[in-house]
Amino acid sequence: MTYRLTRDQDELRAVVRELADERIAPRAAEIDATSEFPWDLKELLAQQDLLGTCLPEAYGGTNLDGVSQAILVEEIARADATTSLIPIVQKLGALPIIIAGNDDQKQRYFPRLASGEWLTAFALTEAAAGSDVASNRMKATRDGDDYLLNGSKRFITHGSIAKVITAFALTNADAGGRKGMSAFIVETDTPGFNAPRIEHKMGIRGSPTAELTFDDVRVPAQNRLGEEGDGFKIAMATLDHSRLGVAAQAVGIAQGALDAAVHYAADRKQFGQRVVDFEAIQFMLADMASQTEAARQLVYAAAARADDNVPDLPYWTSAAKLIAGDTAMKVTTDAVQVLGGYGYITEYPVERMMRDAKITQLYEGTQQIQRLLVARQLLARSGVPARP
Amino acid sequence: MKIVVCIKQVPATTADKRYEADLTLDRASVDTVINPLDEYAIEQALRLLDDGNVDQVVYLSMGPEPAGEALRRALAMGGDEAYLVTDGALSGADEWATARVLASALDRLSPDVALMGMASDDAKGSLVPGAVAAMRNVPLLSYGAEVWLQDGKAKIRRLNAAGYDIIEAPTPLVVSVTDQVGEPRYASLKGIMAAKRKPLETWTLSDIGLSADELHGAALTRMTSAEPPRTKPPTERIDNVAPDEAATRIADWLAARKLI
Amino acid sequence: MSNDIFFLAEFASGTPQRSALELAAGAVGLTQQSGGQAVALAYGAGASGGAAGLGAFGASRVVVLADDDRPAITVAPAAAQAAAGCLVLLAPATPNGRDIAAALVGRLNLPAFGPVTALSLDGSTLKVEQATLQGSVITVSQPADGAATPSVVLVLANTFTPIEGGSGSAEVSEAASVADDPLALARVVESRATEQAAVNLEEASVIVAGGRGVGGAEGFATLEELARALGGAVGASRAAADAGWVPYQLQIGQTGKVVKPALYLGCGISGAIQHRVGMQTAENVVAINKDPDAPIGEFADLFVVGDLFAIVPKLTEEIKRRKGGGG
Repeated sequence: MTYRLTRDQDELRAVVRELADERIAPRAAEIDATSEFPWDLKELLAQQDLLGTCLPEAYGGTNLDGVSQAILVEEIARADATTSLIPIVQKLGALPIIIAGNDDQKQRYFPRLASGEWLTAFALTEAAAGSDVASNRMKATRDGDDYLLNGSKRFITHGSIAKVITAFALTNADAGGRKGMSAFIVETDTPGFNAPRIEHKMGIRGSPTAELTFDDVRVPAQNRLGEEGDGFKIAMATLDHSRLGVAAQAVGIAQGALDAAVHYAADRKQFGQRVVDFEAIQFMLADMASQTEAARQLVYAAAARADDNVPDLPYWTSAAKLIAGDTAMKVTTDAVQVLGGYGYITEYPVERMMRDAKITQLYEGTQQIQRLLVARQLLARSGVPARP
Repeated sequence: MKIVVCIKQVPATTADKRYEADLTLDRASVDTVINPLDEYAIEQALRLLDDGNVDQVVYLSMGPEPAGEALRRALAMGGDEAYLVTDGALSGADEWATARVLASALDRLSPDVALMGMASDDAKGSLVPGAVAAMRNVPLLSYGAEVWLQDGKAKIRRLNAAGYDIIEAPTPLVVSVTDQVGEPRYASLKGIMAAKRKPLETWTLSDIGLSADELHGAALTRMTSAEPPRTKPPTERIDNVAPDEAATRIADWLAARKLI
Repeated sequence: MSNDIFFLAEFASGTPQRSALELAAGAVGLTQQSGGQAVALAYGAGASGGAAGLGAFGASRVVVLADDDRPAITVAPAAAQAAAGCLVLLAPATPNGRDIAAALVGRLNLPAFGPVTALSLDGSTLKVEQATLQGSVITVSQPADGAATPSVVLVLANTFTPIEGGSGSAEVSEAASVADDPLALARVVESRATEQAAVNLEEASVIVAGGRGVGGAEGFATLEELARALGGAVGASRAAADAGWVPYQLQIGQTGKVVKPALYLGCGISGAIQHRVGMQTAENVVAINKDPDAPIGEFADLFVVGDLFAIVPKLTEEIKRRKGGGG
């Protein structure tokens, strides 16, 4: 790992920023207001080869390094958090296949995920089992060469628009979630699959968050990822990587809010001078900038370690998501403060960014779960034995 | 059918530009872009390539070494290979010298169509396409809002005062285009990655058979001074008054200047 | 080398374009310093018949390059032959003028100057003034030592005022024939008139221009009325032309018309750089915009912050009233 960005990474940032500034940012307010998924921007990202960055070139992906993937998400989120979820979730849904998929599964799904023709989603969370993944209840029962999936999932980002989802279900209910859960690739046009409800959310409003129901959904055994009982392991490994996407999104949201605040403060005049000339405002902007930069550097450090799949990866990715999510919340809140009354109205983007920021403290593990994960690694690293 | 798109790297329009003491433009510290109008020429060439009317798209630029970046960016949008003519003797080149160099380089590349943007952000004459055509002894179709290639002929749609003309000329020729040919595409990620492996060759003046002497110090014109404009009075403002009052005050202002 | 000042004179249907009359005045001005003649290079349909008429505007001689409506570039070889060796050649800064000028530069290896704001002769040395970098800098340039003549100078409309009431007559001759030349191969294979009447925006001395803020074709009807009251024409930003509210013929800016009216009145135009380069040499710039921070406010002479839909109709009324009252 080098401690500065490469030329290619700088170039990627410039290219994505131009695209985001010109094509994504102008759509952000409308996406938020209408809560409609930006299919046009999904097409745009697909066309620009930006939806297969985590997939191997052999399958049509571009196989970017982790830092580059973070930059991609960050620059899109700087313009619009909803749109940044398109590459984030495309990776999230594909990660179980990357981690545990066989060649046949990769061959069948990666090319169309890489091209963006198919969207994907990751279906782990259930209504009664959020952070407590081990108490999942959805079942998969073996039926000849197939499994029948029954149960429901909740809070599944893109669940209603994905063509392919990776879903987690108990193949051995007696063994519990930790040992008895398996992972499956489910095509959503399979009979019995439904997305009966889309949540109304505070932020990331254009990104459909769905409740999914499975009623005897027949999934061929060849779509099982890994062995029966590997599900929990696959899910945790997925999250260890995927939370980097959310962390990068948080950095992007913070940067977007900071940029808007600086721009506003430089334009707006009060008491005969520019708002930006008040020291009180400069101090706020300086804190916002410093915090955003710190979060960014931690995200890149974690992303570089994800490429190496270091043994203590959860320490890095959880710390990155924890810091980045809290930074996004703080910086966007401060941005609203810098804009004053204008920050609170929809004419300016910062109130949207503040609402969008909140989700980064919640999904892919709440901040409290991140702390537990960091602490677990910290204790292990320090030789402190686990709770007896 | 082979197209050579001539492009120029220019300071970004948002960049803060100024003249140095020696009356050359200070370009060291500013962001550079492909001349925005040349991007339309690139887009037009790539559309002809996409439609199978053209087999090869080549880029040609004249400029200092970093102008290679503009060529890489063009290659990322599509096309096959690129050539940069760079030579210390070309510093401060005017439109004539630019045309001279491009014409000589084009003689080596012998394209069916040399395609250019209708103007450059930093040279307001729009003279390069016509000068290149005259130097190479080929026809010129200029200000094309749309370009077609067929059977050894090129056609353009060109606006006139009342509508438009379709103008035709045989290849080889020079074609310049406006911003109506279609919005330039963004480079895709795979395009960017592929561009790094596409050939980009650098030529000096001698490689294209020109000598510094022939170029008269790269310019037939010479700037003798660059000054801020004569100070004009500051903008007068009428802020948010009733429409009636605004109209009266505008009319007064116009009348005072004998404009009504 | 002669002391003559040549200028391009484009004709349509036997009538010289206004640019020809303006360039004639510019050429006459320079001949007063050079001691040579003002010579027109006439082309376009009806050029032969109309050529002698240029005498009244100051031309001593007219060389007819072509009398047809082929693309302007096709007369470049004849122009190169006729103009070789004169001191200065003035060309209108229009697409046709630029095409011919460019071909001359390429054929004869001539020094060329983009649109100029002023020009003069210092002895036999041409000095031209240009506004560059969005008008933030005025440069003075001249031909390099040893450069060939003529110097080719592009001139915006409204830079010179045609000589009125002249009675001179010009000696008319046909250009010497030139051998087949590739530049003469371009030909018009089809012409279409759009439904809108032809407007020669470059020649208007008053332009009421509308941008995105005008909101649609109906908004432009309002501007049309103001333009009519002022005796001017309507122009537009690229955004308005792209939106289809007006034809591209009305677009002002880098890729549209470059205009130099006595009055430019911009309504709902933010003043992006690309638009600005098309109108920055207007003598008086008035802008009406609801955004107090619109960039046009920084270079307008009069900046009115307010709703154009409320102000423009009132202004039209007020101007009609004053004009009516005055005469």
